[in-house]
Amino acid sequence: MILLRKDHLLPYATAMVVLLAAIPLVYVLHASLQLSWPEWRGLWHSRLPVLLWNTFSLVVLVVLICLVLGVSSAWLVARRSFPGRRLALWLMVLPLTIPTYVLAYVYTSLWENTGWLGRLWLALWGDGAALPDLYNVFGVALVLSLSGFSYVFLMSYAAMTHGNPHLEEAARLHGATPREVFRRITLPLVRPAVVAGLAVVALHVLSDFGAVSMLRYQTFTLSIYLQMTGRFDYNGAAGLSLVLVLLALTFLVLERFFRSRQRYYFGSHMKRLTPRPASRREVWLIWGWLGLIGLLAFGLPLVWMLSWTWDAWQARAIGMEFWGYLGNSLLVASVAATTAVFLALPIGYYYNRVRSWLSAVYLQLSSIGFVLPGPVVALGALVFILSQLPLLYGGLLALVLALVVRFLPLAVQSQEAALQQLTPSVESAGRLLGAGPLENLWRVVLPLIRGGMISAWVLVFIDVMKELPATLILRPVGFDTLPVRIWIEASEEMLELAAPAALLLLLGSLPAVWIMVRGETARSL
Amino acid sequence: MARIARRRGMLLLALVLALSMALPAWAEEEPLVIYSGRSDKFVKPVVKVFTDETGIQVVLYSAKSTALLNKLKVEGPRTEADLYISNDAGNLQLGSDMGLFAPLPEELVGVIDAKLRAPDNTWVGLSARARVLVVNTGQHRTDFVQSVFDLADSQLEGRLGITNSSNESFIAGTTVYMLEAGMERTRRWLEGMRDNVDGQVFNKHSKIVAAVAAGKKDIGLVNHYYIYRHLAKHPDAPIRILLPDQGPEGMGVAWNVAGVAVSKYSKQPERARRLVAFLVSERGQEIFARVNREYPTRKGVPTDPAIPPLDSYKVADVPMSELARQRRATIDLLESVGMP
Repeated sequence: MILLRKDHLLPYATAMVVLLAAIPLVYVLHASLQLSWPEWRGLWHSRLPVLLWNTFSLVVLVVLICLVLGVSSAWLVARRSFPGRRLALWLMVLPLTIPTYVLAYVYTSLWENTGWLGRLWLALWGDGAALPDLYNVFGVALVLSLSGFSYVFLMSYAAMTHGNPHLEEAARLHGATPREVFRRITLPLVRPAVVAGLAVVALHVLSDFGAVSMLRYQTFTLSIYLQMTGRFDYNGAAGLSLVLVLLALTFLVLERFFRSRQRYYFGSHMKRLTPRPASRREVWLIWGWLGLIGLLAFGLPLVWMLSWTWDAWQARAIGMEFWGYLGNSLLVASVAATTAVFLALPIGYYYNRVRSWLSAVYLQLSSIGFVLPGPVVALGALVFILSQLPLLYGGLLALVLALVVRFLPLAVQSQEAALQQLTPSVESAGRLLGAGPLENLWRVVLPLIRGGMISAWVLVFIDVMKELPATLILRPVGFDTLPVRIWIEASEEMLELAAPAALLLLLGSLPAVWIMVRGETARSL
Repeated sequence: MARIARRRGMLLLALVLALSMALPAWAEEEPLVIYSGRSDKFVKPVVKVFTDETGIQVVLYSAKSTALLNKLKVEGPRTEADLYISNDAGNLQLGSDMGLFAPLPEELVGVIDAKLRAPDNTWVGLSARARVLVVNTGQHRTDFVQSVFDLADSQLEGRLGITNSSNESFIAGTTVYMLEAGMERTRRWLEGMRDNVDGQVFNKHSKIVAAVAAGKKDIGLVNHYYIYRHLAKHPDAPIRILLPDQGPEGMGVAWNVAGVAVSKYSKQPERARRLVAFLVSERGQEIFARVNREYPTRKGVPTDPAIPPLDSYKVADVPMSELARQRRATIDLLESVGMP
């Protein structure tokens, strides 16, 4: 700490990044200041209680489902060895490549009278049976959980494959039953990772626009969007956004609180745990459970996409332009992910090395983009660029700026997790051996947190690939990405053209998923 | 080695960034840019003919009508849009009220009925859609229905199909009824329908038609072309159109138009007006309306033979520009009733 005070580069760089990340917040604050008192009261009376309840209950429901799905699947894959374990790992990560609006679309069409699930349901319960309705909190929660549990899986899996076996052995020797070992040793040790995963899920839920608009469930995001586009009431939208930000910040501070008292430095006594071979009965149970999750979250949507794509292929409706959309998506995603990862570095590093109210405020401020709805971030970026950097307008930069602001928190979160594992002693050693702060960063810190940077890059890349609301408004003219095409075709109900775009989106994200899975398997399988 | 590789990586990154910034400067012959809230496939055919005939390239920038209007407003003079197309007269008039559009010369748009364009010619309607009822022919429970207001009758409980109330056409239709029949009657109507559907509303008009054809619902409130789109695919479907509110006392069928406007900040207004001229020409009119079985707004242009002829029914006497003025009142009403 003392050593770092000498270089003022770090706080300065951090402040710059945070200023960038706070652009949409400044916009929101500015616009909501123009709301008069009666207008605030109008907002409160007309919708705030409903929105608060809807949003809050959705977050709680999704977090609970993801907790069960994510932790159970991670524990099975990390702690048992069984045939097809690598496939299971892939299956649990692949749902990340399917955007929520596609999943919502797939499920609504599957649950129609003529859909696969609908027909199955009617065959089971008779023709008169009412189909389950997805247009409510449970339908939305189902969709968001299936597309979000992978975050919990990933983070808990990483924590569960590493650990100190002595702790669990010691407990066992003292007569603890396996259940007690799990509850009192394993779970507390992986708790920070699980909480971090759940936080990412919760932030995704708060900012989700795809599933809630497809299923017409009134959350803050949807209501803000309608306020903005339906009524052209920017100030009202900003007011609602401000309440949402406050809600999310409370929640983030709570999460910090839960995590801050628990820091486990990885030391030489940490080992890759060897998983126990599963018995024949266990293999059935494991695959029954993982298979069900994989089928619902990935298998069914994939088959749905393939079958519509096949129709389109036969109708010769798939042209070369699809490769152009794919290229656009890949370009935006890689530029935005790379920028976000480098910009996130100072924030996480600063917070980790200098614990002060300032570094904590910086850290929270940098998560604004993830909390605000995409359309609001887009509008903030639009206003900022038009007023400050008008020459850049019209190019890709406006879009990249908005996307970086939007997904910076994801990069900060996963890098900060890696930085936490970096023991201060390693760094001090570097400094004692005469390395300057920059050299230390370059030769000691960066190589050590490379894994964290890569996974941050991958997570941001995948999210940008799927991003819709900001891209729809900020893409340069003539620059359609895959999500934009999915949206255009799906809104015309041209499923045979929406499906190939969704499939290409999945294929385009595969290399990123591969990097992630390889990182995990190199460590554990 | 490693250092070189790193440097190369940085260089590549810088290159990509530089390229992305240079992107707007790429185009040499500036194409016309249309911000379009109308489906791609209903705009592309007419645009293609225009490009073939004039050599002027056109790029469609598709998104929701309202979102594009927001974008136009924020962009102001910096906008790249030359034209704006929306499926809803309310949006067009809103843009006009916000001062985003340039007036079109009377001699250009005079061929279109004055009620179907802006009073100051800042936008012009290109095709019209009628708000009608679709009825299942295999039942008699809906025989009493003469008016859209009959949809509030409790006899239709569980038998009525409507879209969710954030649907553009639903809002526009409700605005027309409010202007014709007053706020109170419209409120009671909405409340009746709300109770009849009991939260079960449809996402898409096409699904209402399919549900009525399948006998899951008896009657639905839709735009006319959805019925004929369904009949074109399933000629034997047991459905028919019912034109509501006819007769000497009836207010007539609610109309809405899709239309086009030229951005006030277009850098090539001359060429943009050429496109508008083509869109209101007899040829352009026929293509634009025909692809979606709508009514051309220009008199004398033939309509699709399947849909009810223009003069065969009464249309509600509401100028399209009114749809914008009352839009917020309509949304407030829908919200206070709690329409799903």
